[in-house]
Amino acid sequence: MKLLTHNLLSSHVRGVGPRGFPLRLEATEVRVIPVEFNPDFVARMIPKVEWAALLEAADHLHLAEVPKGPTQGYEQDETFLRKMHHVLLEVEVVEGTLQCPESGRVFPITRGIPNMLLNEEETET
Amino acid sequence: MLKTLKSAERLFLLIKKQFPFNVSSVSKGKIFYEMQRFISDDPESWLNAISIWKNLLELDAKKKKLSQGDANPLKRKMGENDSIIAKKLKAEQMQENRECQLEKQIEEETLERGDFLTEREKCQEELQNDVAKAGDTHDQNDLTFRVSCRCGGAIAKTLSAQEAGRIIGIALMKQFGWKADLRNPNLEIFIHLNDIYSVMGIPVFRVPLASRAYIRTAGLRSTIAWAMASVAEIKAGAFVLDPMCGLGTILLEAAKEWPDVYYVGADVSDSQLLGACDNLKAAGLTGKIELLKVSVIELPLPSESVDIIISDIPFGKKFKLGKDIKSILQEMERVLHVGGTIVLLLSEDHRRRLKDCEGSSFPLNSKGSHSDEPGAEKCLILEGKTGISETVSSSFEANHQECLHKMPPFGSLVPVECYKVSLGKTDAFIHKYKKSSSSGL
Repeated sequence: MKLLTHNLLSSHVRGVGPRGFPLRLEATEVRVIPVEFNPDFVARMIPKVEWAALLEAADHLHLAEVPKGPTQGYEQDETFLRKMHHVLLEVEVVEGTLQCPESGRVFPITRGIPNMLLNEEETET
Repeated sequence: MLKTLKSAERLFLLIKKQFPFNVSSVSKGKIFYEMQRFISDDPESWLNAISIWKNLLELDAKKKKLSQGDANPLKRKMGENDSIIAKKLKAEQMQENRECQLEKQIEEETLERGDFLTEREKCQEELQNDVAKAGDTHDQNDLTFRVSCRCGGAIAKTLSAQEAGRIIGIALMKQFGWKADLRNPNLEIFIHLNDIYSVMGIPVFRVPLASRAYIRTAGLRSTIAWAMASVAEIKAGAFVLDPMCGLGTILLEAAKEWPDVYYVGADVSDSQLLGACDNLKAAGLTGKIELLKVSVIELPLPSESVDIIISDIPFGKKFKLGKDIKSILQEMERVLHVGGTIVLLLSEDHRRRLKDCEGSSFPLNSKGSHSDEPGAEKCLILEGKTGISETVSSSFEANHQECLHKMPPFGSLVPVECYKVSLGKTDAFIHKYKKSSSSGL
């Protein structure tokens, strides 16, 4: 699971609503997988990023050199884009957990795939 | 270059096409005689097709040596030499392209989305071996061949495919002196006989175009998957979700064609996700496509966060659809941006159920009639550029309009386009919806 994905995931446990974001990330196995750098793509993702959530997750993974927010004219700033590319796309959480901040429900991440299936009682009607 | 044809199944060089056999009152012997006449009456068309085929092989070998930038002069050269005809098993459209129209067609294939959805049968291939062999067999007499025959309709009751194949094979040997080789022939001849036509052709490639090098295990037919992705208007920087991705075929096709996009696939089944993971690794696309184990009716995504949703809704034959289609569509509607697109593959059954449920609130009738126009426009464009014969095009148009007319909007999802496609044994429908703003504008 990449951090770009974590940035979008939100808990859907019954009654939680928007307080289900962001999910608290803990990782037991992390891999760095090189991905081809595409500056246009990264630049397009920047406006979608929830920065607080990203910084928190990056912190939990003990990542260094994470930009605190978009810089002026980031679209042309290759250094910035490369750092963001690395943080969003190259860090893979292979094993770990995601925790709903409101309900405390824990979702496992196995083989890089988060399992967010709820059982009957937990789902919204 | 022909390999960029993504929504087509196989490509044939036409040798002969004529009216179907009248089998009602004739004896088998007479039928055999008629079939032999395919060859003996007109050996020219056969030889002509063979030489075109050889040219194609040589061209392809040359092309592999030239750089990509030189594609255009080659395109034109092919256009001059060939009359290539795309053929479809269900015969909803027949297209004839000669010379420069071939160029146009090929550009259309790659640029226009969805127009060639009902077109089937084009091929993709490795021609290295064939080139070597073709080079060796300058003398036509050295050609080895095999006949593959398919019979349908009335003629299938009188004649088996093997018998038909044998007759043609023997006639070819007599006429041209070629040798039959069932295992590894230079040349394969395809024959389709049914109630609509009798066609003979040579496949341009050995392996159907539909079998992709980059997909290890296909779930949905790759041609349909690509067609759905192209109908979805994927733009760079989009967030594309397939909430019932199965083995990930749709995402794979989309990611190959539109790489600057964020793709997420979801499924509830572990085995499917494992298969998808496997496919991603084999295709080298693990960096581009993320997988989630989530349920389509409970997507852990904020509302209005997705740009495009593309999905093949399970038909209930292979997989059990635990939830009903209404709740699925509702959840999809929730996570989609206003102005976002949903492209679904639906069975007849799904369509019926959707027609019955009007979704939520407002009827959006005026929107309904507007949405017919883009559909009709698409029909007309198709007709103009590719010269479909009169009778067939009107039935296609009627089909298309009918498709669209009967589908009601679902909440804020407005049906925009609809295509009927064949999945081999069954038919299905590709439906495209756009999310309008909730004020009903």
